[in-house]
Amino acid sequence: MKANGLLSASQSVLMAVVSRVMGIVDVPLRYLQRKAGQNGMAAFFLAPNMAIFAVFVLVPFVINFVYSLTGGSAIFLSERSFVGAEQYREIFACGNYLDPNTCKQDVFWIAAGNTAAFVVLQVSLMIVAALITALILNREIIGRGFWRAVFFFPVLLSPVVTGLIWRWIFQRQGVLNAVMQGLGLEPHDWLTERNSAFFASIGVSIWAHVGFYTLILLAGLQAIPKDLYEAAQMDGTSRSRVFWRITLPLLMPNLIVVLVLALIRAVQIFDEAFVLTHGGPGTSTMYLVQYIYETGFASELRNPGLAAAASILMGAVLVVLTLVQMAASRRSEKKGAR
Amino acid sequence: MGRITLEKVTKSFGAIDVLHGIDLDIGEGEFVVFVGPSGCGKSTLLRQIAGLDRPSNGEIRIDGTLVNDVPASDRGLAMVFQSYALYPHMSVRQNLAFGLENARMPKAEIDARIAEAARMLEIGDYLERRPGQLSGGQRQRVAIGRAIVRNPTAFLLDEPLSNLDAELRISMRAELAALHGRLKTTMIYVTHDQIEAMTLADRIVVLRKGRVEQVGSPLELYNRPANRFVAGFIGAPSMNFLSGRIEGVSEAGTLLRLFDGEVVTVPRRAEAAHAGEDVSVGLRPQHMRVAQAGENGVPVTIDMVEALGSETVVHSHAPTGELVLAVLQGQHNLSRGHNLKLSFHPDDLHLFDKNDRRVAGT
Repeated sequence: MKANGLLSASQSVLMAVVSRVMGIVDVPLRYLQRKAGQNGMAAFFLAPNMAIFAVFVLVPFVINFVYSLTGGSAIFLSERSFVGAEQYREIFACGNYLDPNTCKQDVFWIAAGNTAAFVVLQVSLMIVAALITALILNREIIGRGFWRAVFFFPVLLSPVVTGLIWRWIFQRQGVLNAVMQGLGLEPHDWLTERNSAFFASIGVSIWAHVGFYTLILLAGLQAIPKDLYEAAQMDGTSRSRVFWRITLPLLMPNLIVVLVLALIRAVQIFDEAFVLTHGGPGTSTMYLVQYIYETGFASELRNPGLAAAASILMGAVLVVLTLVQMAASRRSEKKGAR
Repeated sequence: MGRITLEKVTKSFGAIDVLHGIDLDIGEGEFVVFVGPSGCGKSTLLRQIAGLDRPSNGEIRIDGTLVNDVPASDRGLAMVFQSYALYPHMSVRQNLAFGLENARMPKAEIDARIAEAARMLEIGDYLERRPGQLSGGQRQRVAIGRAIVRNPTAFLLDEPLSNLDAELRISMRAELAALHGRLKTTMIYVTHDQIEAMTLADRIVVLRKGRVEQVGSPLELYNRPANRFVAGFIGAPSMNFLSGRIEGVSEAGTLLRLFDGEVVTVPRRAEAAHAGEDVSVGLRPQHMRVAQAGENGVPVTIDMVEALGSETVVHSHAPTGELVLAVLQGQHNLSRGHNLKLSFHPDDLHLFDKNDRRVAGT
């Protein structure tokens, strides 16, 4: 009783403070609304967010674009010379676009090729993995809540931590080789052999992100009415036909969202792969963001203009993918409304 | 074809017993309605028959064949779900064809069956539309059409009209009755709406807490309810229950003393009752009328009057506090707080003992 009394006393004090503050804020806001109108008020409330967006996204984007039109290795824009589209010409200077070795910026095209291969493999394998996981977790299995948490847990980890954990597992003296040796198998150079390193980076990336996409698909699966499956059961539908004709079409809006989100994320692959392999061996796991980072900041022959031009090109790809996602979302919203 | 027999069917979910030994024999071509309040087990019973759930014990036979272990799709039954369960991404035509394609039926045969169902249910104009583009009533027809095209031995309908508005429900009810008349196929219909049960059924099965309370024709249940629960559940508005005591049982019938001291002779012997036993006296609101001067009746005080034009519904209470509802024919000049006597014919009384079992009545 005493605790309740204290609580209600503190609540009424809080309410009094809130109401006092509201009373003070109310006066200028009412004045502003009279002057600016309803739309003006909307702009007023949006202004702080717009300012943050401008400072941290729009302005850097414009500066980056200006950088892409300049040359030299100087960092400050005032010390850089205007070269027009020279950086873009440099990137696209290729004898044969299918052979990076014929390009002036061969590493860009190798990184672009690696990124494309990574995106195709990682996204397709991850969607299949997320779908299978979601289908299993949607069943009445023992410890379902526990398994859902287990699959989602890696999503909470920092990419650097993810990269370090898996490097510890994959390195020459790592856990995996120790286990293999324990089983009498030959150890393998997981991170220093080209294909192994490439697939290791894909595997680690899938492990790190599959939980997030599983969650989206699981939500989609749970939204499919149980009655439909019972109707299919009455109709004598085989399990595979239920999956292909009922589950998959009804899950399609979620799958499209997952596909586009995963594509965007995969194009931006950097941190966990960089920590895991540093882009090696050679350039076999060098992806576009690493190329941009190293060209702009990390290499001795740094070229911020070239890095900026490469990031603009990558940004263009991401814009296209984002537009696709928005169109897909709108389509599924329309379908949902029907 | 279409005889369904249940013998001692039970269903438990863990420690919870939902059905307690249901025995039922549903004849070929019969329209049987399972009715009861929410949670009485009517949908669970339907699902056991459909094959969507397996009974914990007991036997389910269709045309004499034990089907406990036969998959739902092989029982020759078709089900109409409360939510319609139409595949939202398929057109009406694809919805109707889906089950037939599963059975690898030739396309020409599928088309013919769809055309026949579409004609019967008047859904031909929207075969190419998706369920989301149809009204509730149209979706309901499609759901019934999906069952019809399978040419089943029996239809199982799980509260199929409950998602429709009141007006549409009445028209669909009539259509369902007409459809049963045309198809002459066994239909098992689940509802919690006793008016639906009364208007559609050849026989009604009243369920409560997983047990069958009574099986019979609608009028049998209305006129001779086996217990107080059935008496209260069947008929709208519900039956009134007043306290009384049996004074004696003779050849002439049962001598009953009502709470207010009035003694009436119910012209039927209460076989299982004896003098001095307290009983519940059931009286339908429609069987009450305003007592004439000097006539005996139940004294009540009016709480509310609903003047509906053709009839007047009087909500009142007796001196004992028992609520008494009367549906009086025609229009009456009555108002709240008014005291009056409501009389009845002794033939219309139903007597129930302390265990709620019927002991006498017409």
